[in-house]
Amino acid sequence: MSEHHEPSHRSMRLIGRATAACLLLFALAYGLVATAIDYAFASDPLGPRVFPLGLAAMLALLSVWYFFSPGPAEGYPSGRLLLRVLGIPLVMLAAVALFEPAGFLVSTFVLTFGTALIFGAPPFKALLGAVGQAVLWWFVFSYVLEVYLPAGALFGH
Amino acid sequence: MNLDYLWHGFAVALTTQNLIIGFIGCFVGTLVGALPAIGPINGIALLLPIAYTMGLPAESTMILLAAIYCGAEYGGRISSILLNVPGDAGAVMTAMDGYPMAKQGRAGEALAISGISSFFGGIFGTIGLALFAPILSGLAIGFGPAEYFVLMVFAFATLGSMVGSQPAKTLIGCAIGLVLATVGLDPTSGAYRFTFDQPELSEGIEFVVLVIGLFSISEALIILENEGRGITVIRELGRMTARMSDLVKCTGATMRASVIGFIVGVLPGTGASVSSAISYTTEKRLSDTEGTFGKGDVRGLAAPEAANNATACGAFVPMLTLGVPGSGTTAVMLGALMLYNIQPGPMLLTERPEIVGGLVASMFVGNFILLALNLPLVQIFARVLTVPNWLLVPGILVLSVVGVYSTNSSIFSVFLMMGIGMVGWLLRKAGFDMAPIILGFVLGQITEVNLRNALAISGGDVSILFSSTICIVLWILAAAVAILPAYLARRARRRALQAA
Repeated sequence: MSEHHEPSHRSMRLIGRATAACLLLFALAYGLVATAIDYAFASDPLGPRVFPLGLAAMLALLSVWYFFSPGPAEGYPSGRLLLRVLGIPLVMLAAVALFEPAGFLVSTFVLTFGTALIFGAPPFKALLGAVGQAVLWWFVFSYVLEVYLPAGALFGH
Repeated sequence: MNLDYLWHGFAVALTTQNLIIGFIGCFVGTLVGALPAIGPINGIALLLPIAYTMGLPAESTMILLAAIYCGAEYGGRISSILLNVPGDAGAVMTAMDGYPMAKQGRAGEALAISGISSFFGGIFGTIGLALFAPILSGLAIGFGPAEYFVLMVFAFATLGSMVGSQPAKTLIGCAIGLVLATVGLDPTSGAYRFTFDQPELSEGIEFVVLVIGLFSISEALIILENEGRGITVIRELGRMTARMSDLVKCTGATMRASVIGFIVGVLPGTGASVSSAISYTTEKRLSDTEGTFGKGDVRGLAAPEAANNATACGAFVPMLTLGVPGSGTTAVMLGALMLYNIQPGPMLLTERPEIVGGLVASMFVGNFILLALNLPLVQIFARVLTVPNWLLVPGILVLSVVGVYSTNSSIFSVFLMMGIGMVGWLLRKAGFDMAPIILGFVLGQITEVNLRNALAISGGDVSILFSSTICIVLWILAAAVAILPAYLARRARRRALQAA
């Protein structure tokens, strides 16, 4: 709890402006790529470039509006909480990288065990929960719903 | 009025397979509604790819998703009453009188009364949907590309009210959605746009990847941040049935709220949060002569529950008849139709009556299932509230990964989903709502194609967009809805604050 402060008016404005600046850059980059769309023939007067260019202009204008009136924001976490929040995509990254080579069971174990620990589960409970979830979901997807999942090298093909 | 589609729909909805699917949807819907962590969009987003991969026909998938949506409106009240934390946006007002009742040891009664008023709201809304759908789609049958384009402008204009107080962010979200929709092969010229020579992007960004990334992944991070904010579950439920005298007392409130809820649902852009607030304040003004509202008055509990269920049904009217979603949830359902290569719009009712009819009929059946599920089984759902997040969130993440992977067996899509999820989280923390992004994405291609077709017909003359009466009416309506609901929502919110 102590790590989660309500953001101050100033920091909300800063978050708003930074987001607006990123969006403006994105709009410019998108517009730039749009000018280079390659096409031989279009059956309509607009062609494939005009609509994206219009969108780029619209997004750029809206970003400028947002920059000057940022409005309320929730604010980002900091300290240990931020590390925990960022831990989730990292665990997911590892699990997804393992998904095809090591198979569904291993990957799901990594994902559920890792996130359960980040959520503060006691290690032994997290372990039990992760093994249970891996087996349960494997059963549900493979036998009940008949969804194809990679078995991975460990469990044959 | 021709209601043949509805009788045909009952034949579809009452097949054994669709009854089972409807039951599963109602159960899952009540569950995701009850859990404060996940809302109806998450439930729909996670089950959509699985239904699609299992090869369910389009009408069965729509029945499943609609059952989840309606079920979530029932389920949302459980956590409002027992935790004082609304399970979804439509259940915010339910806590006003529901939680005080629970604190007085009348939680069971509160759950029963709100379950019954939810049922009346839901049935009323479904009758309204069944009657309105043919009328509205009949009006829209003469639409050409120019009318369609202006209709899409109208749809975007309604967005201003979805996140009323911050129009810049809403419109930016919408623009981001439109931008993402331009990725992939341009159907008119055959040009590849924004694919960066990645074969996985040549068909565009998949809808499932975007929805699951924006909602489920970012939600998991937000649940982690909000953990440990001192929530206590009320475990003493007390008497589990409603008193007859209480039910009689709420009759008027339930009926008025059902009408308000349905009308608000039909208006695009205004959702259950608005209708439940309006109906609560209306009842308070009409009936609160003894100052009991906010202290556990049954009428203050019945009104918002009837309203939010009627709204969920009303929101299907513009989605099924015009192809214009009125809320984030109906936008996802529209995307689900497109996953099946079904073009939503006024022709849907004539071309695919089994989908529209099956959906409407299944909502009649679904409300009875939900009433049965929510009266005797409510204790089971109440117990679900105690499932710890460390067990729940990993489960959501597994479903997200499998859902995305299963639609095309591509690990690239899973990584893309994660990237989108992180960006979604950053945007949510900056105060953005995700629904406009989904809406922009779902309507992006239809908007562009119709604009280009209209201009191809006129030889590049933009006056075609203002040439017909329908176009002009739609332009005027667009201007009106951009301003009006934002004003009404602000007024309702101010009243609600005064009421509290």
